[in-house]
Amino acid sequence: MTFDDFGMDTASLAGSLEAKLAAVRQAGFSQVMISAADIVGHPHGTAAGVRAVRDSALRVTGLEALRDFEGLTGDLHHYKLDIAKAMLTLCHQIGGRLLLVEASTSTHADTDPDLVAADLRKLAVIAIPFGIRIAFKGLSWSRTVNAFGAALEVVDRANCPNLGLGIDSFDVLASGASLDDLGIFAPEQIFLVQLSDFMWNQDRSPEEQLATAIHFRVFPGEGVHSNSLANLVTRLDKLGYYRDYSFAVYNDDYRQLPPEFVANRARSAAVWLAETVLRRGLPVPNMDRLRRSGHA
Amino acid sequence: MTNAMDREAVPEAQNPLAIDGLEFIELATSKPRALGSVLEMMGFQPVARHRSREVELYRQGSMNIVVNANPADVPRTVEPIERPVISAFALRVRDANLAYQRALELGAWEIPVRAAPMELNIPAIHGVGESLIYFVDRYDEFSIYDIDFRAIPTVNPHPPAIAGLHFFGIVQYIGPDRTDDWVAFYSQIFGFTPLPDNVRFGIMPKGLLLQSPCHKFYLQLVDPGDPAGDLLWDERLQRMGLGTPDILAAVAALEKRGVEFIASESVHSNERGAMTKPYLGSVMFELVHSDHAPQPAPKARA
Repeated sequence: MTFDDFGMDTASLAGSLEAKLAAVRQAGFSQVMISAADIVGHPHGTAAGVRAVRDSALRVTGLEALRDFEGLTGDLHHYKLDIAKAMLTLCHQIGGRLLLVEASTSTHADTDPDLVAADLRKLAVIAIPFGIRIAFKGLSWSRTVNAFGAALEVVDRANCPNLGLGIDSFDVLASGASLDDLGIFAPEQIFLVQLSDFMWNQDRSPEEQLATAIHFRVFPGEGVHSNSLANLVTRLDKLGYYRDYSFAVYNDDYRQLPPEFVANRARSAAVWLAETVLRRGLPVPNMDRLRRSGHA
Repeated sequence: MTNAMDREAVPEAQNPLAIDGLEFIELATSKPRALGSVLEMMGFQPVARHRSREVELYRQGSMNIVVNANPADVPRTVEPIERPVISAFALRVRDANLAYQRALELGAWEIPVRAAPMELNIPAIHGVGESLIYFVDRYDEFSIYDIDFRAIPTVNPHPPAIAGLHFFGIVQYIGPDRTDDWVAFYSQIFGFTPLPDNVRFGIMPKGLLLQSPCHKFYLQLVDPGDPAGDLLWDERLQRMGLGTPDILAAVAALEKRGVEFIASESVHSNERGAMTKPYLGSVMFELVHSDHAPQPAPKARA
């Protein structure tokens, strides 16, 4: 893993889409996770947002996020299918090869694992012609899948080659899951790892977890779980994880500060992880090329 | 790939769309005459024209090829281009609408309806790249061509096949490391079965074969090989495979008509197969030895 394996998330930054992309690039990053709202919220329309991403010279880590998709029936299911197809189309337009799907928090969602798995398989099949991978992420406050072990079970059950897992360090740390459990994964099943830290240590209610997840995340190395994060990244590296890390930092303070300031903090986090925690400064030969070709 | 196999174990899923062969292959081009002369050299004859669009039907034996030179009103991204592309294939199914609905339920993308008044609505889904997959259920007593096409007067509507040529399959180019994805796509939605690597037809060494659930044709997935190599291509339908019980007789007959075959050290005609040179920059035909009885010519066609 090198610096280039880490990317920022447009949802961490304030300003126009162009300003966010420029800040990410200026901080030295080569990739960026795109929040769909940043594209469609472009003042000159979606096409202008798509063009801004295409022109940014940044690789798209993925598009986020399809929410509350699985476990629905009847009209709700068909409505969500339309939403999913629109998200996949947007992902394709910006040159993305990954769509992040968050486990449902909807009270309408059926939690029957067979139904959840069938819905995710259908979504993955829909994404195949575009060459888009589906990273399914459990949420600690989800109704259908609330831990990465459960997410793996569903992904296994769905059994589609372009369906894998998104792992968010926040959920791992906040849920108090043992890092030993990461051993259940095969590295090729993990499609994306999102990293962030936060500022409290005690166990909190699901409501407080949700509030923290949305408002108070900080970059790795800035919070109180630096050791755990370092441990997590080291374990994933040993496991053979070879895809992207994205800083999923959602923080109200950062969203009212200049994007360059925030991007530089992200840069420090990437340098710390790549060069201190993983102690690798030099790119692995051929890795970039493999990535570009869509192999990795 | 294991998932494809697992699903095959479920009997009712073996042919979820009730597929019964290939009805036609569509090529899109802005130079329909140039493509027409290549097709005629290959033994196809123009037999009908579409009533409202710049679309022609070529036929040889049981094979139908639709040449689409229709400009912008077609609501899809393949504009006819100079280099012909395989823009669609049509599957024969028991009930086109049911097959279409079932395909959507299984994860296919719908294509907006584009029939003009008095024309058939032929449902279609997205295939690889910009291509489409149509569902056709009128191929027995009636055909789609009876309604949407006008026969070209004085030509034999059922020109015979040279050396028993029939549709064998279609070769699809895929991106690096995309074999599993496309196997999942074709097995999940259509019920195709991947064949073991030691099953080979023809003379081309590469690619994974998928057998149609009706056992009447194949799709072959070919990836660029070395993922770190510079040979990257767009995913697309690349060429059609024509089966014949006698390759050498077919090659001889086609050569007499002016068709040239590749004769290199690695690729050359033999009793197992042959490959034509590319015409118009992109149109190739692969001949494959196949004892498959050609499907009977339909009765009441254009």
